[in-house]
Amino acid sequence: MLLDEQLAAKAIEQALAKGGEFAEVYAERRRTTTLSLEDSRLESSSTGLDAGVSIRVTRGRDTSFVSTDSLEEGPVLEAARLAGEGLAGGGAGMKQLQKIDHPSPHVISIPPDSVAAGEKAALLYEADQAARGAGSEIVQATIGYSDEFSEIMIANSEGALAAEERTRVRLSARAVGVRGDIMQTGSDSLGAHKGMEIFEVRDAADIGRVAAQKALVMLDSRPSPSGKMTVVLHRGFGGVLFHEACGHGLEADSIEKGTSVFAGRIGEKVASELVTLVDDGSLPGEWGSNAFDDEGVPTQRTMLIEEGRLAGFLYDGLRARTLGAVSTGNGRRQSFRHPAIPRMSNTFIMSGSGGPEDIIAATEKGFYAKTLSGGQVEPASGDFVFGVSEGYLIENGRITAPLRGATLIGNGLVALNNIDMVATDFEMHIGVCGKDGQGVPVGSGQPTLRILDMTVGGTEV
Amino acid sequence: MLEIAKKALEMAAATGVDEAEAFALRGSSTRVRVYRQQVEELASSTGSGVGIRVFRGDSVGYAYTSDLGGENLAAIAQAASDNATVTAGDEFRGLPEPASSFPEVDLYSEKLAQVPLSEKIELAKLMEKAALERDSRISQVDSATYAEGDGRVAIANSKGFSGQYRENNCYAFLQAIAETDGQMQTGMSFTTGRHPGQLDAAGSGVEAADRALSLLGAAQCQSMSCPVVMDPFVTSGLVGVIGSVLTGEAVQKQRSMFAGLRGQQVADVAFTLTDDGTHFEGLASAPFDGEGVPTRTTELIKDGILQGFLYDAYTARKDGRESTGNGIRGSYRSQPHVGASNLRVLGGAASMKDMIGSVDLGFYVMEVSGIHSGANPVSGDFSVGASGRLIRGGELAEPVREVVIAGNLMAILKNIKMIGGDNRWVPFGGSIHAPSILIGEMTVSGK
Repeated sequence: MLLDEQLAAKAIEQALAKGGEFAEVYAERRRTTTLSLEDSRLESSSTGLDAGVSIRVTRGRDTSFVSTDSLEEGPVLEAARLAGEGLAGGGAGMKQLQKIDHPSPHVISIPPDSVAAGEKAALLYEADQAARGAGSEIVQATIGYSDEFSEIMIANSEGALAAEERTRVRLSARAVGVRGDIMQTGSDSLGAHKGMEIFEVRDAADIGRVAAQKALVMLDSRPSPSGKMTVVLHRGFGGVLFHEACGHGLEADSIEKGTSVFAGRIGEKVASELVTLVDDGSLPGEWGSNAFDDEGVPTQRTMLIEEGRLAGFLYDGLRARTLGAVSTGNGRRQSFRHPAIPRMSNTFIMSGSGGPEDIIAATEKGFYAKTLSGGQVEPASGDFVFGVSEGYLIENGRITAPLRGATLIGNGLVALNNIDMVATDFEMHIGVCGKDGQGVPVGSGQPTLRILDMTVGGTEV
Repeated sequence: MLEIAKKALEMAAATGVDEAEAFALRGSSTRVRVYRQQVEELASSTGSGVGIRVFRGDSVGYAYTSDLGGENLAAIAQAASDNATVTAGDEFRGLPEPASSFPEVDLYSEKLAQVPLSEKIELAKLMEKAALERDSRISQVDSATYAEGDGRVAIANSKGFSGQYRENNCYAFLQAIAETDGQMQTGMSFTTGRHPGQLDAAGSGVEAADRALSLLGAAQCQSMSCPVVMDPFVTSGLVGVIGSVLTGEAVQKQRSMFAGLRGQQVADVAFTLTDDGTHFEGLASAPFDGEGVPTRTTELIKDGILQGFLYDAYTARKDGRESTGNGIRGSYRSQPHVGASNLRVLGGAASMKDMIGSVDLGFYVMEVSGIHSGANPVSGDFSVGASGRLIRGGELAEPVREVVIAGNLMAILKNIKMIGGDNRWVPFGGSIHAPSILIGEMTVSGK
């Protein structure tokens, strides 16, 4: 383990010395490799090492947190002392540490550290060539590769002792197409809590090719019209919309402060009965999965909305203790430099019935959002906005002209209630979610589905 | 820190590379978050690290570590050297020539450390209280936060450059929540400085409350094309997007809408934009950039005419120009990369009243969202979510939310009708000093 068990116990005792109720030690060592390619040249190759520890002490909902870039006894105990001083009065003891027996469900067949840098570099060139080969109008491709191997260890005053090794690999491609005055971009990525074996299932070339095809399609696009429309969200990419517009409101910190539209509404109907929304950080190999969360609680599947009724929230340890609930294994952090907060892992809408083609065929006039480029939500109101990087007009039950410059805007609760068709073509997508200045890997997914009466913002009135 | 940088440089040189550079950083930060007049979270962190950049011929390699133990430094020096064998050769790569003089920039205030933590906590409480007491409809304040940081930076390279500086800063921010009839609206504000005496906590509390209150009851408006007034928060978002493609790299890689337009009119004649790496109030100021090149003031757009672009050593060499001291470096984890330091829009003479008063039917934008996905500085497409107030007959009217404002970035710049004299620093998405502006026409999509 990263820290000697006795040192961890000593740090917890030290942290509780001034009267904290709960104390936790989080240690981490992470090796990262990143490669990037542009102009068909491998422009950078970087490797890094980050290691350190953080100590957190809480009493009630008050938190004291100290981090330091070291795994040595002196600095670790000093951090524990400082964290303990942040909270005075009260007090509790600690339980004997006991290792939690929970083997990781994530199998790493080809650890990235076993692969030579030259082989990794070849993946980027492969993706670049495929992107450029997709059409003469592709003028640029940017390919990024990263892998990381981290070891974490968590010990707390309730006696929990957990350790895990995490491996993630990711390749992303962005292509730029130009025709006359029009310049359009397309992107795609592949990533998992797995090793280099992910490229045996889908090769690097395919990622470059798909990115380029998206850019090429959009060269034929015309400016998107604006106004209220029926919107069909293509499988996978639309998941991020529900992640932003609903998922964040289901995290227990916003429930605790009453800043979520879902607060106090368990059991109530909050969505169309076609909607079942789930968070599952235990799915083997998924990008947003881990064996434990970053507080040493095994990850699990949590039902959030079941057939339209609000079924549960996502808890970390602190909010679970404050609200009298049980942690759902959703206490996550970017690194040892950050305190754990309630976060989604892999969040998705479950499959319904029928095929995506049935949804298109049933839509007389609408907007088909094939790829979303990211978005933002106002957590208090649930108002969201999303850019559409690949969108199409639906006319008489058929997908017709590609549209550019469109933005989807709406409200999470309203959109959930306006879902009237859900298909079975489920797919997950990967991303990095930012909250309180911390980025963590998340998955989001959904089958193709239809939302009535949504505002599409374009450049044509 | 300079000693550590020099030690790392020696180890890098020992791996047999042609050129080497070590960047060392030691920093500490403290953050206090208050909720309902209680300290909810007190967090502090200390850390240091070294990043080593080496060149083998014209190939570059990089490695970093947060663990400065002797073995680790040697290991990453070797890793950087190995990484340089993988990357493609590029004749324009290499260290900048060392400079002899550097701007005097005052980045450090002794006062920051002298003010006790208890006073900083009081400041966060005062800010929260000012918001809560502003109006009974302010139901709570989410994340009333005071934060400060202190960092020492040192760079040493094999061309003989060595330098170091120390910088500190503090800021406070909050999000006020106003509630009525089941609707919730939030309003954000912040205040920045080098020491707590420069922070206006009460003023920020009031501003956040007022911003939330003025949006209460907001609803979608009809779709229309109309004049748009952007407040400084919103202007700064727009300027950040523009600044991201006013770099040598964006032009060289054909991802700038400004490529090939040097010397041409790209904005209204009233619009002047500079990058200033030396401004005493700018949080991105420093005596030298992330590769040891002196910082300076660079005119980007003057009287609406595109003057030039920002360069680091690499992009400058590629264009046969001089680095503008814009090799930006976020931390020791990343290589220097060309980017803006402090972007400043020259303020105008108009007051907010002049701007609102000149509009018969229009939209006063207070917040935009989705700017990263909705603003494309390559194609110039700009389409973002917005909230604010309608303008009717030269007066602020009903609050609006859930609409999209859209247009083409270049057309927006050329259609600036008035510039306010109300510049302020906005530290999000860069360090930007922006005024409010009136745009002649944009598309507003709502009902």
